[in-house]
Amino acid sequence: MKKINRFKAGMASFCFILPALLVVGLLLFYPVVSSLFYSFTSKHLIKSGCEFVWFENYVRILRDEEFWSAFLTSIKWTAASLLGQVMVGFTAALALNRIRRGRGLYRTVLIIPWAFPSIILALSWKWILNGVFGFLPNFLVKIGLCDTAPQFFSNSNLVFPTLVFINVWFGAPLIMVNVLSALQTVPQDQYEAAQLDGASPWQSFVHITLPHIRVVVGLLMVLRTIWVFNNFDTIYLITGGGPAGLTQTMPIYAYNTGWGLKQLGRSSAVTVVLLIFLLLVCMLYFKLLDKWEQEGA
Amino acid sequence: MANKKALRRGWFGRTVSYVYLTVLSVAAAFPLLWILLSSVKGKGEMTGDPTAFLPKAFTLDNYTTVIGQLGFGGNIVNSVVVAFSTTLIAVAVSALGAYGVVRFFPRFGKKITRVLITTYMFPPILLAVPYSIVMGKAGLMNNRGGLIIVYLSFSVPYAIWLLVGFFQTVPLEIEEAARVDGAGKLQVFAQVVLPIVAPGLVAVAIYTFINAWNEFLYSLILMNSSGKMTVAVALKSLEGQEVMDWGVMMAAAALVVIPSVLFFMLIQKKIAYGLAAGSVK
Amino acid sequence: MKKALSLFLSAAMLLSVLAACSPQPGTGHTSPPSGAPGSDQPAQSSAPADLEGEITFWHSFTQGARLETIQAAADQFMADNPGVKINIETFSWADFYTKWTTGLSTGNVPDMSSALSTQVVEMIDAGAILPVDSLVDDIGRDQFYQNAITEMTAEDGSCYGVPLYSNTEALWYRTDLLEKYDLAVPTTWEELYEAAKVITDGENGNAFGLAMPMGTNDMMATLWLHLYVRSAGETLLTEDGRANLTSKTVIDGINYWLKVYNECSPQDSIHYNASDEATLFYQGKLAFDFNTGFQISGVEANAPELLDKLDCAAIPRVNGGDPETGCLTTNIPVVIWKNSKHPEICAAFIKYLYDPARYVDFLLSVPVGMMPALKGVTENETYQSNEIVQNFQHANEVLYQMLGGSTSIGMEYGPKAEAGLLTSQRVIENMFQDIIINGTDVETAAAEAEAKLNELFETVG
Repeated sequence: MKKINRFKAGMASFCFILPALLVVGLLLFYPVVSSLFYSFTSKHLIKSGCEFVWFENYVRILRDEEFWSAFLTSIKWTAASLLGQVMVGFTAALALNRIRRGRGLYRTVLIIPWAFPSIILALSWKWILNGVFGFLPNFLVKIGLCDTAPQFFSNSNLVFPTLVFINVWFGAPLIMVNVLSALQTVPQDQYEAAQLDGASPWQSFVHITLPHIRVVVGLLMVLRTIWVFNNFDTIYLITGGGPAGLTQTMPIYAYNTGWGLKQLGRSSAVTVVLLIFLLLVCMLYFKLLDKWEQEGA
Repeated sequence: MANKKALRRGWFGRTVSYVYLTVLSVAAAFPLLWILLSSVKGKGEMTGDPTAFLPKAFTLDNYTTVIGQLGFGGNIVNSVVVAFSTTLIAVAVSALGAYGVVRFFPRFGKKITRVLITTYMFPPILLAVPYSIVMGKAGLMNNRGGLIIVYLSFSVPYAIWLLVGFFQTVPLEIEEAARVDGAGKLQVFAQVVLPIVAPGLVAVAIYTFINAWNEFLYSLILMNSSGKMTVAVALKSLEGQEVMDWGVMMAAAALVVIPSVLFFMLIQKKIAYGLAAGSVK
Repeated sequence: MKKALSLFLSAAMLLSVLAACSPQPGTGHTSPPSGAPGSDQPAQSSAPADLEGEITFWHSFTQGARLETIQAAADQFMADNPGVKINIETFSWADFYTKWTTGLSTGNVPDMSSALSTQVVEMIDAGAILPVDSLVDDIGRDQFYQNAITEMTAEDGSCYGVPLYSNTEALWYRTDLLEKYDLAVPTTWEELYEAAKVITDGENGNAFGLAMPMGTNDMMATLWLHLYVRSAGETLLTEDGRANLTSKTVIDGINYWLKVYNECSPQDSIHYNASDEATLFYQGKLAFDFNTGFQISGVEANAPELLDKLDCAAIPRVNGGDPETGCLTTNIPVVIWKNSKHPEICAAFIKYLYDPARYVDFLLSVPVGMMPALKGVTENETYQSNEIVQNFQHANEVLYQMLGGSTSIGMEYGPKAEAGLLTSQRVIENMFQDIIINGTDVETAAAEAEAKLNELFETVG
């Protein structure tokens, strides 16, 4: 009797996660597994028939110098963008959480960049920063900050930071919204209690706020790392990976050597390598998250 | 004494916050402002003085072209239907899922969510072919429902993943107290837990909406009639023009970005506060 | 749990194996159906009038008057043939490419479509489209420009596309800027460089002579290098399908464009694509540009004040005495897809589009820009009385002169799959950027790029 009750309760609980399992399991499983399979074949995008080639695709890409330089660029791009996004997003969320009047307005305005589809992101920034007729370079000359219009996209010292800036501009709102949401779930009575105990704002930040929101922030970091690493169109639409491969990241490499050539097998292999690397990075994050969760429990 | 000190510190911190937020807001709003102003400029006015900001001759011609001649209206309706449905279903499904994982299957659930996240690591373009094969076999090609399902498969893993973090912060004691009062599982979930994680739901809803609204590739591939495509595809087709008209492009861009901003406003005000107000605190 | 998971995994693997290697609709190994019994002989357009069925037509004329003239023709056709329904869907060229390449694996392709000639080669290669010889004969093979037909003709001797219109490149210039500096219209590359330099120096950042576009998300640098090389009578793709980047002429061409970039171009042009280049021209910041007759419509839409300061000339030559020849023509055909259930309706509708009055209407939707695929069509009063045609008579003459004898890049010796890779893989754009950013020696960089292209060619050889 007891057993049946336990079983019933189990089934009820299972119903909570069933819809999610269905959606994800059914739809993502097939495409992902088939990509894995393609990476071992000579599959062509538009021609039929393919052979099993074992590790030939992998050997080919791992021997390619361009692959490794793209890999390095990707790591730099991810690290710099993520650092910027988290710094801006986090501080903006803290500031928003502090103010009373105009909070809704600021919050809405600050989310705007997130609403930009990548084409508009690329078109508008390319125009605003254009070295001949762009607003910002001409404005800088006009107010006397620069003698000649700065060439944001072609100066080899400026192009990478410029792209990172655009990516921070675009990505910081996501961090901000999530951190702010996490901040809002911190129970207010804990702050009040701390204040009564004479804790400084810094102390209550370290002892109350941080422990409460760090799991969400940690989960967010995992997602953003993957997303920024895999991001394709921001760079592609602005510089196409140039000048001279300076901004060529892994996804652009995968696209150029794989999709352009229609060698679906080879481009799948690039993705699998990417996947393995990202899995390793995620394991590090998971270790950290586990530690935090244990501390929190 | 301590209170006064705290007050003064609060005043200083708030001023710094306002200055900082204002600087960020200018940077955040500038490109959209520039797009809006460019879209109402007269023909040939976008060329000329690059630092001229305000339009000399105000006109809505570009908008008339985009909505009338290019049929953007229909595309916007499609996008609204697809993005709202995706958001609604994704939030519901993933809130249930994440709660179930945290409360009922903590150990198994953690593994599952970690597997989920690996699916996020595949670039969408590589999944395009297998996806269209699946959708074709299911008879869901050229069907808005099919597109919604595809978007769900992208956003639900993310949403569950993030919501797990939020649900973990809900103290078990609150739920147990409600349970003692005789509330059922679903009741506890809806009336006690959801209001606490409402900010998280809002964050997830915004994410889902934006992704569905701006997604381009799958809308292009899975839909065959341009009348059924989303607004992102319509926008992209303007950019691929042999003869590009910048004024029209700017008007189209404004029409794509503004609804998302409106959605932000709506969901933050209505839903977050609505849920919080109804909570048993 | 683990066991179940691994079982599921292997089952799914098996499934995808089956899916991956099973023949796909539209890409099977069946031979072209031209002579095969039972196939619908697409070109029988003179078939009896009781046509019946529904077809889908994808085209890339996504905007304005072009869109409308095609729709009007379809409406009229449906009125004449009550049993026929034509669904028209439009996609920009890039989107169309994504759409049909992914669509082939699921059979999700139209009955007929517009296409770019490099894509026609890929479509033939994938066995996706039908030969249209009898349709071409029916419309009048002799009336078409020979080069366009040659570009659509595969190794098997069949023609796979009906040329709809053509574009040819010319040197566009701003008459007011030439007058301001008292310059003559350049006829050689050296004269062009000198004129561009005078204007760049004189304008001191307000405008530039010539912007060499080298962005790796477009094929502009390949295109411009091709113009130089072709004007000297050479080609970037040899007759036996090998890359040529190291002959003396090509090295001269690379050096020429580097000189132009360093002395006459805005620095940013290193990442320009076609639309960046055009936008700079609309902004009034550019004196010379290479483009097709579409330049006129672009200027009209974005900077109407420049319209009466615009003209074009022949592509420059290496030596003053060399003959003026066209260097680059893009032919846009209509193709019929093998998947189609009603190729006879497609054929009848295509023929319908070439009805003289309708065809002239279509051409005039981008006046001067779209050049006819049929000879003699423009000697027509409607065409000649068009305002833009009237105002750009000189430009029109120059463009017609350039049209003769020129083909798409890499198609000089007939349709080649290598031509697609020459432009799509950005090897030449990367070579230019490498020389400029890393200071790589020109001949070394050219040799490397040539080797890389030849390696890529092996994937289609």
